Amino acid sequence: MTTSNTTMTPAIVLRAVRIWSGLFLLAFVTSHLTNLSFGLISINAMDAARPYLSGIWTGQITGTLLLLSLVSHFFLGLWAIYVRPTLRTNIQDIVQLLTGALVVPLLATHAVGISMAANAGLNLGYADAIRLFWLGAPTIGLLQVVMLSVVWVHGCAGLFTWLRSKENAGRALYWLYLLAVLVPVVALLGYAEAGREMLVAGQNGADIAQNPAMPENVVVPFAQIRQITNAVITGSVILTILTLVARLVRLTLQKTQEVVLVRDGGPRMVSTSAISMLDGFRRNDQLHASLCAGRGRCGTCAVRIVRSDFPMPSPSELELRTLNRVGAPSGARLACQLTPAGGQVEVLAIYPADYTFEDARPPDVPSGSEAPA
Amino acid sequence: MIALRRATVALIVGLGIMLSGPVFAQTGTPILAPSTNDIHEFTRLLADERVQEWLRQQADEAETTAIAETPGVRDQLDALVLRTQNRIAALVRTWEGLGQAPELVQGRWREQVTDDRRVQSLTFVLIFLFLGAGLEWLFRQYSDPIRRRLEITEFKTPAKRMTAAVTRAGLALAGLLAFAVGSIGAFSAFDWPPILFVLILNLLMAIVVIRVVGTTLLLFFAPFVPRLRLVPVSTGMARLISRTALGFTAVLVVAVAFRDVFAQVIEVFKPQGGENALLAVSVMLAVVVSLAALLCLHAGFFLATRITPEAGSKAARKWRGFLSLLIILSLAFWILDLRLIMWSVLCIGLLIVSLKLLRAWVDHAFDTAIADYMAKLPPPPVIEASEDVTDDTEAEEIVEVIDPYETYRPLAQRLVRFAAIITVGLILALIWNLGIFESAENPTVMQRVFSVLLDSAAALLIADLLWTWARTAIDRRLNAYRPPTDGSAPGPEARMATLLPLLRVVLMVTLLLMVAMSILSSVGVNIAPILAGASVLGIAIGFGAQSLVKDVVSGIFFLIDDAFRVGEYVEIDQLRGTVEKISIRSLQIRHHRGAVHTLPFGELKSMTNYSRDWVIMKLEFRVPFDTDMKLVKKLIKQVGAQLKAHPEYGDSILETLKSQGVRRMEEFNMVIGVKFMTRPGEQWLVRRDAYQGVRDIFDANGIRMAERNVKVEIAGEDALTDEQRKAVSAAAHDATANKLPPGPVPDEP
Repeated sequence: MTTSNTTMTPAIVLRAVRIWSGLFLLAFVTSHLTNLSFGLISINAMDAARPYLSGIWTGQITGTLLLLSLVSHFFLGLWAIYVRPTLRTNIQDIVQLLTGALVVPLLATHAVGISMAANAGLNLGYADAIRLFWLGAPTIGLLQVVMLSVVWVHGCAGLFTWLRSKENAGRALYWLYLLAVLVPVVALLGYAEAGREMLVAGQNGADIAQNPAMPENVVVPFAQIRQITNAVITGSVILTILTLVARLVRLTLQKTQEVVLVRDGGPRMVSTSAISMLDGFRRNDQLHASLCAGRGRCGTCAVRIVRSDFPMPSPSELELRTLNRVGAPSGARLACQLTPAGGQVEVLAIYPADYTFEDARPPDVPSGSEAPA
Repeated sequence: MIALRRATVALIVGLGIMLSGPVFAQTGTPILAPSTNDIHEFTRLLADERVQEWLRQQADEAETTAIAETPGVRDQLDALVLRTQNRIAALVRTWEGLGQAPELVQGRWREQVTDDRRVQSLTFVLIFLFLGAGLEWLFRQYSDPIRRRLEITEFKTPAKRMTAAVTRAGLALAGLLAFAVGSIGAFSAFDWPPILFVLILNLLMAIVVIRVVGTTLLLFFAPFVPRLRLVPVSTGMARLISRTALGFTAVLVVAVAFRDVFAQVIEVFKPQGGENALLAVSVMLAVVVSLAALLCLHAGFFLATRITPEAGSKAARKWRGFLSLLIILSLAFWILDLRLIMWSVLCIGLLIVSLKLLRAWVDHAFDTAIADYMAKLPPPPVIEASEDVTDDTEAEEIVEVIDPYETYRPLAQRLVRFAAIITVGLILALIWNLGIFESAENPTVMQRVFSVLLDSAAALLIADLLWTWARTAIDRRLNAYRPPTDGSAPGPEARMATLLPLLRVVLMVTLLLMVAMSILSSVGVNIAPILAGASVLGIAIGFGAQSLVKDVVSGIFFLIDDAFRVGEYVEIDQLRGTVEKISIRSLQIRHHRGAVHTLPFGELKSMTNYSRDWVIMKLEFRVPFDTDMKLVKKLIKQVGAQLKAHPEYGDSILETLKSQGVRRMEEFNMVIGVKFMTRPGEQWLVRRDAYQGVRDIFDANGIRMAERNVKVEIAGEDALTDEQRKAVSAAAHDATANKLPPGPVPDEP
């Protein structure tokens, strides 16, 4: 997603920011989880690997970048919730949305606690964290597992939706799928094994299970931590709710018309002018090719308009760029970006519903090279 | 745990056999290990000879009594009544102490499983679930293209559709397997305290079982892909049914899992009054499950009325009532601890419902198969059929004849019914623990009755299956047979019209006899004397009716050989005539002069059939030696053309009149051979006209037919006197008069 010479509309900028902030956050999470996997060896191994896998992310620049990414990603997500014509899309999107809404409240305790303790000069190692999560406050430990799952699922949902719309992702996707399962599973097993180690140590009264004495010159502002954590949690929840309310208001104020879609001379599908054509197909349980799940990136949902009662809204810059890139025939539109104003619209699907990029690629051309239109 | 595992299996099978043992058997005071002193004492006693002798006697006695004591029906009934009484007493006790018991258990539970522990175990469960879900997700990502393709492709044949549906469900099931292996496998890799083990395993198992049921529902109902649906319901109904069924399954599985955990807790902690608490919880859960079943049933039927008005019909209400009654009865029997009766009632009740559903299903399968077959036919016959709107019956007949599956529809229905009944029978046998598969030396009355019932049912069902198949096949052939209209020759199916009803009767009698015999034999009646008597009788009748049997049997073979049909002209020994009637014993032929001959088939050695395919007729003409053969050939060709052009029999002539040239030379003339070939029965008319035509055309062209004459050549003709001339002509006359006319006159109709 580089800045190209074509015009940069806000939509395209937002998309780029969303993707890159998300990728940066996911890279951090992956590294952090890899560190967690060392728990399969021992708690000490986790701590040994900490400077290389987790430490580099909490430096002055990287830390700021992380915080920036997180905040911008969060607000962009809220914006997406507000703008999205319908939230009842495919399962992947719904999962992404729900997990996205949960991430910040779940993360608050962990992130605020660790970072503020570090600021106060208390260097918390994995031994301390594991002790806290398994012995001290098991509820928080449970929440960490939930958070890990939620964060990872959200990240993967975003990553794969983005990658699937790339023609040259190809076979790499299959390896990434494997990684996407392997990383969190090994991390969770490491966490579980470390927890077992800690529990056994707790029963035996070993050193590692004992709370170390607080360093004398360090004062951890526990009350402040709690306050800020609560503020973050409430703030994010309220923001999410406000977004949903605003969205509801927007939808109520919006005037909608009934739209009847007919694709390839098939049955009449009743939809509304509030949702895109692709969502209209989905609402009627009609499968339609859309590799990027309606983000206007892949161009596989393209349709040719055969007949329409009313003129179609003109394509946005985003849509035009995608259409140009995939070399779509003239008169084609993206079903995911096109919201008909009303009346009956007859279209022809350009790609079959089970289309993948492999279909377009001739067998002799190696994957990764440009696919013919 | 064992109960849960069994329940899992049962749910997968969908028939629910839960042979859970007595609930309270595990409870009781703990038994301590024997001390060293006790063991020494015991060995000393064993060494004592008196003790040894006494033990031996006891063993012998026990052996004899064990053989003598087989529990009678009365004992069993007594035991049953006693058990029910105990159960009721326990229920009453539970009811009285209902308040405290759960609290008691809860207290012990809290004591053992602290909050921290609970949270920790929950953490573990989450990790395992994530592991399983991750594996399943991975599998799905890899198998998704296949699934997508299956859901989008249109399948033409039912077999392909079936394969696609099964493949789709198989993919889902494989994903589920990945989930189960990931979660339960990782779980079992760790060591657990017993209570946590039961708790977590039950939780994971419950999730897996519910999902297995969901996948099975997906296979049959395919709520979102109508093309792959195996059960003939609309999309709305499919969604409704799968949702209600899944909801009920969830309640059932959770209840079973909960009860299992509770039982384990009681077993481990052994609190005071734990038995009562367990009973209370069990009854409560049973009530909850039954209520859930009733709720699902009624809600399902109510919602179904919105989708299809049929669901509100009288028949539907009847079924709803029936199922509600079944649920209530099951609950009542369960509460009274009459589990065997409960399972039997449940099995039979569900059998009745499923028989009805299976029938509809088979019908639907055949309808779709026939529709597919019709769609695959080349279009021309379809257009023809639609054009023939005037003749509706004929169009229908055409459709019936070309439909390839119709014969098997009743057969398939019987087969499915047969399988269902036998399955339920076997399940009942297993439930009642009758051991019908072991040959007990002293079977109980129940065992006897049950095995007789099962044997009879199997015999009846197999006979029914055979009979249905044979009858459908025979009826189909008979229906396809059209009796010939007057004058036209019957086709080869005519003999089948004679044979098939006979075959049907014979088959029915044979099957009935066999079924009766096998039922008698399984009841225990010795059928050997019956068979012997029947065979003696059979021999006696056989001797008496020897010729009748001979007639019938040889008739069957003549009919199978297709030696003659009604309307054909045949010759048997010296008798000739047209076949008028074929009965099972004899054949009637009518001579062309009107006489009717009746011939038993047994008398037929060989027969000649003049009415098959074609007939060649050869004619001869005698012409003088000086005839121009080329002219003759030309003239006969002309006659042949005339005959062929004849409006009445011209079409029947296969090869028209043709000269074969001079066939032989005789003393005074030469013989010209002429032949033609016609269809059977037409040759006489053609011959008549051929004779006439040839004579006329010869006459017109100056060819004389040779006549018999005597040429007397006398050397020195002047020397003859008148008397001598007379004598010569008289001698010549004599010479000619003594000759017989050439050739036999053929008999003809």
